[in-house]
Amino acid sequence: MRIKTLWLLLAMLVASLALVAAGCGGDDDDGGDAAGTGATQEEEGGAEAAEQVITVNWGTEPPSLDPGLASDTTSSNILQNIMDPLVKLDDDLNPVANLAESWEVSEDGKTVTLTLREDGQWTNGDPVTAEDYEWSWKRTISPELAADYAYQFYGIEGAQEYNGCESNCAAMADKVGVNAVDDRTLEITLTTPQPWFIQQLAHHSFLAVHRPTVEQFKDKWTEAANIVTNGPFQLESWQHNSRIDLVKWDEWRDADSVKLTRVNGRMITDGTTAVQAFEAGEIDVTGGLPTEEIPRLKETEDYQQYPGLGTYYYGFNVDNITDVNQRRAMSLAIDRQSIIDNVAQADQLPATGFTPKGMPGFEELTPDSPWLPETADLEQAKTLMDQVQNPKKDITLLLNDSPGHREIAVAIQDAWKELGLSVTIKQQEWAQFLEFIGPPPDKSIDVFRLGWIGDYVDAMNFLELWTSDSGNNSTNFKNEEYDGLVEEARATEDNADRYAIYGQLEDILHGEDGQMPVMPIYWYTYVHLERPTVQDTYNLNLLDQIDLTKVVVTEE
Amino acid sequence: MTKFIVRRVFWTIPVILVVILLTFGLMRQIKGNPFRTSERAIPAEIQRNLDRKFGLDKPWYEQYARYVKNVATFDLGPSLVLRNRDVNDIVKEHFPRSLELGGLAFLFALVFGIPLGAVSALKANSWLDYAAMFFSNVGFAIPSFLVATLFIYFFVLQFDFGFPTSGWTGWESKVLPVVALGLAPMAAFARLVRGTMLETLQQDYIRTARAKGLRWRRVISLHVLRNSLIPVVTAAGPTLGFLITGSFVIEQIFAIPGVGRYYVTAVQARDYSVVMGLTVLLAVIVIVANLVVDILYGILDPRTRDVRT
Repeated sequence: MRIKTLWLLLAMLVASLALVAAGCGGDDDDGGDAAGTGATQEEEGGAEAAEQVITVNWGTEPPSLDPGLASDTTSSNILQNIMDPLVKLDDDLNPVANLAESWEVSEDGKTVTLTLREDGQWTNGDPVTAEDYEWSWKRTISPELAADYAYQFYGIEGAQEYNGCESNCAAMADKVGVNAVDDRTLEITLTTPQPWFIQQLAHHSFLAVHRPTVEQFKDKWTEAANIVTNGPFQLESWQHNSRIDLVKWDEWRDADSVKLTRVNGRMITDGTTAVQAFEAGEIDVTGGLPTEEIPRLKETEDYQQYPGLGTYYYGFNVDNITDVNQRRAMSLAIDRQSIIDNVAQADQLPATGFTPKGMPGFEELTPDSPWLPETADLEQAKTLMDQVQNPKKDITLLLNDSPGHREIAVAIQDAWKELGLSVTIKQQEWAQFLEFIGPPPDKSIDVFRLGWIGDYVDAMNFLELWTSDSGNNSTNFKNEEYDGLVEEARATEDNADRYAIYGQLEDILHGEDGQMPVMPIYWYTYVHLERPTVQDTYNLNLLDQIDLTKVVVTEE
Repeated sequence: MTKFIVRRVFWTIPVILVVILLTFGLMRQIKGNPFRTSERAIPAEIQRNLDRKFGLDKPWYEQYARYVKNVATFDLGPSLVLRNRDVNDIVKEHFPRSLELGGLAFLFALVFGIPLGAVSALKANSWLDYAAMFFSNVGFAIPSFLVATLFIYFFVLQFDFGFPTSGWTGWESKVLPVVALGLAPMAAFARLVRGTMLETLQQDYIRTARAKGLRWRRVISLHVLRNSLIPVVTAAGPTLGFLITGSFVIEQIFAIPGVGRYYVTAVQARDYSVVMGLTVLLAVIVIVANLVVDILYGILDPRTRDVRT
C-alpha cells in the first residue's frame, strides 16, 4: 500500500511536470524558416534566384523599434529598412535623395528646406507628410519621452532648450525650429550652419512615426500587430529575443526595384553558436564573429570584411602622465601592425590619426602622425623616455571585460615593459567601467581603452570629443586653442576650409608638437559570414548599415 | 498539514520583502548608469529626463516603497533599457520557456539519474558500477557551456541528427539544450542515490527483512529505494529551482528566449526593474519548490510531519 502511494506520488510529480512543460511550449511557429535556409536551385552562377528569401542573424534583441528611442545598431538596421529615410548615404557617404526629393540650404547656412516626395505612404494608406516629421521630431525632443538620442536634434534651434525644459514646455515646443510649411515642405532652422546636417538626416532618429498609431497604442505601438511603417519592408513578426521577420511591402513607392520578398531574422547572441548556425545552413548572414574563429573563417569563401568608421584607442589621463614625451614614447613603443595581425586578426587598419579613413576629407586631414607608427619604433621611444623628468613608472591600465581587449592590453604591457614601465591591467564590466572613466576619470587610472564609432559622417563627430567640456573626454586634456578651433569649424560651412581646421585639430592631438591625450591603435573593420549567393549585394557601409532594398539572391 | 502549508505561505511575504530590499540595495551599490549603454556621454538634460521618467530622482526609501506597492499589485514596472516593454510582458512571454526548459531537464535528470544510481549501488564495485560512476563524474565535472558547445559541434555539424543548432521551435530544437542542462543534475542524482542506497543496504532492518525471507526484489522496492529517496527529494527542490532559474548559459548558447537571458543582460545593463522583477519571481519559485519538498517529506517520512505541524 505504502509503496503504491510512493510510486503514485512520484508518477504524479513526473506527470505534472510533463504537463507543465507541454502546456507552456510549442506556440512558436516556424515562420517559413525552411524557405530561408539558402535554398537555391542549381543553375548557372550569378543569375537571380527564383526564391528571393534570406535568413540573417540580427544578433541581439533590438531594445526598441521606436525611431525616437532606438540607440543601437540592430534597431537602427531594422528601422532603416522598414521605414523610408529622408536621405540615404551612398558608398562614399554622400547624401542621396530618398523620401526627401530635394533640399535647399539658405545663404547663411542656417535654414534647411526639404521637399518630400508626393508618393510617400504609410502601410495603412495615409500619405507621409511634413507634419508627420514635425510631430515625430518634437516628440523625440520632448522631455516626456526622455529619449537617449534627443541630442541628435540639438543642432536645431530651440531643441536643447525644449528637451531640458522645467516649465512652460508647450511654449518651448512651439519655438523648436521644425516647421511643416505645407504637406510636402519641411523647414528646419539650425543654431549654426551645419554642413553635415543633410548627412545626419540619414540617422534613424530622423525617421517619422505614424502619429495615430503611436497615440493609440502608446508604448506598445512597435509590436508587430500594431506598428504602421512606411518603408520597403514590413515587420511581419517580432518574437522577442527570438526572431524578427520582415516581408516586402508591395505597395511601397519603389517596390518594383526591391528583389527580396522576405528576410527572416534570428537573434543568436552567442558568437560561436551563430557561426555554427551558419555552418549548419540555418542562416545566410551573420556578423560579430568571435576573434578566435577568425583565422579559420578567413580561409572560407563566406568571409567578408568591411571598413568601419570607428577608432580603437587608448586614452591617457594627462593629470597622471603629465609629460608629453612619455605619452609619445608609450605610443611609439607599440607595434600596431603586429597587434592587428596577431591579436585583433580582422585586418583592421593601423590608425595614423584619430579620424578614421573613409571620412570625407580624410586626405586633407593629413593625419600622418610621427607618433603613431605602424610598427614599433623602440629606439626613438627609449630616447624620448630618457628625456622625461619625472616619469610615471607604475601604470594602471583600465579595460572593460569584453573579449579581445585583454589580449591587446597584454601585448601593450609587454611593449611598455621595454620602456621600464610596470603596467597593471584592471578589467571591469562595462557599466562599472563607464562610471570609472567618467569624465573625469577616477584618479587611479593612468590609461584606459575605448572605441568611438561615428554617428554621422563628419570628422566633427570624432574631433569634438577632445574639447575641454566634452562629456566623452576622459583624459583631462584641456586646450583652449583646440576648443576655439572646434567652435570655428562648427561655423565653417565650406568643406575645404573646415577640413583644413580639422587638419589643425589632428595636429594638436598627434602632430609634430601633438599633445597626445589619446593614442589611436586601429580603425575598425566589420567582419561577416555571408553565403556566396548574397555576397555581391549584401554590403555594409562605413556606419555598419545594410540596405536590404539592394540585396539580390543569386543562383549558386 | 494544512496549518503547516498556510504558515509557510504566510512566511513568504517577509522573505520576499527582504529579497526586494537586498536586491534593491545591492543593485544600487554597484556602480553604473542604466541609461548609458554605450561609451557615448549622456547630456545632463537627457539624464534628468530619464531619471524623472523612471522615478530615479526620488529618495531610495520612496523608490522602495513604490516598488513594494507595485509588486503587491503584480505590477513589476517598465524596463529601463528595453523601452517598449514592461517586466510583466517579459515574465509572461519568456518565463514559460525557462520553466519548460528547466522542467524537462529536471525530468531528464530524475528519469535517468535514479536508475543509474540504483544500478550502481546494487552492482557495487562491478564494471557496470565503475562505468556508471565514471559517466556521472564526467557529467558533473564538465561545465554546461562546454557540453552545449560540444553537443552542437558533434550532433549538428559533424553528424546530422536533424537537430537545429539553436532556437526553441519544435521538439528537435529542445533535445540538445535539455540534455546539456540536465546532465549535471542527473549525475548528482545518480551519485546521491548510489551513496544512500549503499548505506541503506547495510542497515539492520534490511538484513532483518532478508532474514525473514522476503524476496530481494520486494526488499529493494519496499525498504531500500523508499528510504534512499528521502535525500533525493531533499536535493530535488533546490535543483528544480536552480534548473528553472539558472539556465541562462544554456539559453544564451542555444538562443532560447527564456528569462535567464534577460536576467544576465539586465544585470549588465543595470536595468533595475527587470533585475528586481526577475529576482522576486525566482525567489517565489525557490520558495515554492522548497514548500513542495517539505510536503513530500511529510508524506515519505511521517515522523517529520509530526515535528513540523
